[in-house]
Amino acid sequence: MVTPMDLIRKKRAEAVNRIISKGYLSTKRVYVGMATCEIAAGSKDVMAVFQDAIAKGLTDVYLSQKGCAGRCNLEPTVEVVEEGKVPVKYGLVTPERAREIIERHLKKGEVIQEWVI
Amino acid sequence: MSDKQYKLTFCDGSGCLKNQAREFRQVFEEELQRQQLQQNVQIHLSGCLGMCGKGPILIVNPGYIMYGHLRTEDASEIVQEHLINGRPVSRLIIQEDHLYNRFFRIFGDSEFFGRQMRIALRNCGVIDPEKIDDYLAMRGYEALAKVLTEMTPQQVIEEVKKSGLRGRGGAGFPTGLKWEYTAKQTDPEKYVICNADEGDPGAFMDRSAIEGDPHTVLEGMIIGGYAIGSRQGIIYIRAEYPLAVQRLKKAIEDARREGFLGERILGTDFSFDIRICLGAGAFVCGEETALIHSIEGSRGMPRPRPPYPSVSGLFGKPTLINNVETWANIPVIIIDGADWFSSIGTATSKGTKVFALAGKVRNTGLVEVPMGTTLRDIVFGIGGGIPNGKKFKAVQTGGPSGGCLPEQYLDTQIDYESLAKAGSIMGSGGMIVIDEDSCMVRMARFFIEFTQDESCGKCTPCREGTKRMLEILTRITRGQGRPGDIEKLERLGTMIQKASLCGLGQSAPNPVLSTIRNFREEYEEHIHQKKCRAHECTALLTYVVQDNCVGCGACKRVCPVNAVSGNRKEKHTIDPKLCIKCGQCYDACKFNAIAKV
Repeated sequence: MVTPMDLIRKKRAEAVNRIISKGYLSTKRVYVGMATCEIAAGSKDVMAVFQDAIAKGLTDVYLSQKGCAGRCNLEPTVEVVEEGKVPVKYGLVTPERAREIIERHLKKGEVIQEWVI
Repeated sequence: MSDKQYKLTFCDGSGCLKNQAREFRQVFEEELQRQQLQQNVQIHLSGCLGMCGKGPILIVNPGYIMYGHLRTEDASEIVQEHLINGRPVSRLIIQEDHLYNRFFRIFGDSEFFGRQMRIALRNCGVIDPEKIDDYLAMRGYEALAKVLTEMTPQQVIEEVKKSGLRGRGGAGFPTGLKWEYTAKQTDPEKYVICNADEGDPGAFMDRSAIEGDPHTVLEGMIIGGYAIGSRQGIIYIRAEYPLAVQRLKKAIEDARREGFLGERILGTDFSFDIRICLGAGAFVCGEETALIHSIEGSRGMPRPRPPYPSVSGLFGKPTLINNVETWANIPVIIIDGADWFSSIGTATSKGTKVFALAGKVRNTGLVEVPMGTTLRDIVFGIGGGIPNGKKFKAVQTGGPSGGCLPEQYLDTQIDYESLAKAGSIMGSGGMIVIDEDSCMVRMARFFIEFTQDESCGKCTPCREGTKRMLEILTRITRGQGRPGDIEKLERLGTMIQKASLCGLGQSAPNPVLSTIRNFREEYEEHIHQKKCRAHECTALLTYVVQDNCVGCGACKRVCPVNAVSGNRKEKHTIDPKLCIKCGQCYDACKFNAIAKV
């Protein structure tokens, strides 16, 4: 008999496959904070910059939103996660900063230290 | 290193010993000696922790950070980074064992997060809250599958009881007991309610938890429904949280589609569904009996208890109400076990607590810490202290129902009993830091104004009493305080505490009484010397021009009542009789030549 536990394991495996098929294993993962507080601080515009860049051909980047991690005074926040490296978390990200993060960090691999939390 | 004591537990089981655990410990202890930290740590040896494949293992408390696969060369890094700098070394933390540890993969290395322990918020800021796949990948709904596969409702209740979890909504009632009472009722129709009505000024824990990870609340509620034998859950959330509502709706739809909600959940005989009920945003509706009235369609007013909702709640049926944060803890307790959960925290308060840290503190935000963490750790450790070189004055916990604690209470451990003993409460988790620039009388007045505004008016002590307190406090802040006012406030406050019907009234005087207790001299200064030391009460301050005035005329130009006089390049003066104390001259002066006295 199939137990609920068997079912959930199957569902999880499927979910993980779906996440991977959407590009999760891309070299860089970008998370933009999109809770009420982050949106109020302007994260929607930041998100749009990344979406736009991907639409215009930025590759090897997995873009996702996330909830609030609690850094109220530093919002909007953007995180760049690379496998095997210490995750980089940027605070007070404006659309301009987002564009620079794309140019310098995502394209050239340079961590922009002065904005790191 | 701070004065904090670390408790280090080394696994001394034979499996770990095979992996050079003793050699590692020896190097570690030498490193401690080299850094002269022996006094600051306690070292314990444990028997086999059952994770022999991952040895040597070291657990660092507080925080329950578990390191594994340790090599002797890692010792100095752990000592330096974790014990001295307060930043757990995320690459050495064992990731897969406990749900909360996943958090460290992303956040563990920062000062702000390194001191936290995230259980209820484990997925917040980590996953995409609108994708059920993300939640499933984080072992989502595994706890539900576990109870449906291998646990009876009674066993679930036992597990929650054993965990020591207490209600995170404020009162701290043991969650397992509440579940047991509700389960015992024989009525076949029962309800499960999630109280997401969050109204404390400055608090946003519930909103963030739902917005960041809505599925974990659903999962907790479904497990609760299974445990007490209910088919219907309701989330009561205020309409002012549109994004949270939208994400909850999506989560409910997704959970239904995947078979976690609705008929015959995951192929079993258990059926349960959840709907959302929007509240209009009244503070009193966070009180459970008022909340129930509100769902029933009546005005949100409390009623006397008993009977408690677990016996007679929504539509007179047995009802299990828990707060968002309480529900969010349930899946973790089921997956990681009650024993693990109860190993965190203090003797009477287990697990973690989420606080919304706000006010005059460098890092504001949402923090989750193990029970037993001190207020100092939160304000000065995680919060980074007071900005602009100001002095710490007090920390207000528990929102309008809580009290203000001054410096001598900073080492109070955070748990239900210690905070109550110090004269405040845990509450739902608002924490406002106050610096020397804030007037405590005004602060008390602010909270009383809030509760007076939010009083439903059903019982006289709360309706009339808070109004009278507000009148007195307003007089005092306007410089019209009279001798005897403090005593009157104390009498009124105690009476309201004793005679009010519900928690709102019973706790409304707390901010006033605690500020009188801890900052009585400020009240006295206001009343007798007509002085406000924080210069916040405008009626009690005078603007004066100091000698460093260069006569630029900036203040003169902005004064709306022409109270400033003086020739160009000569010292100006302010006529106190004309001055309306709007403060525009103070803001306009570029030379800091205008002072408040």
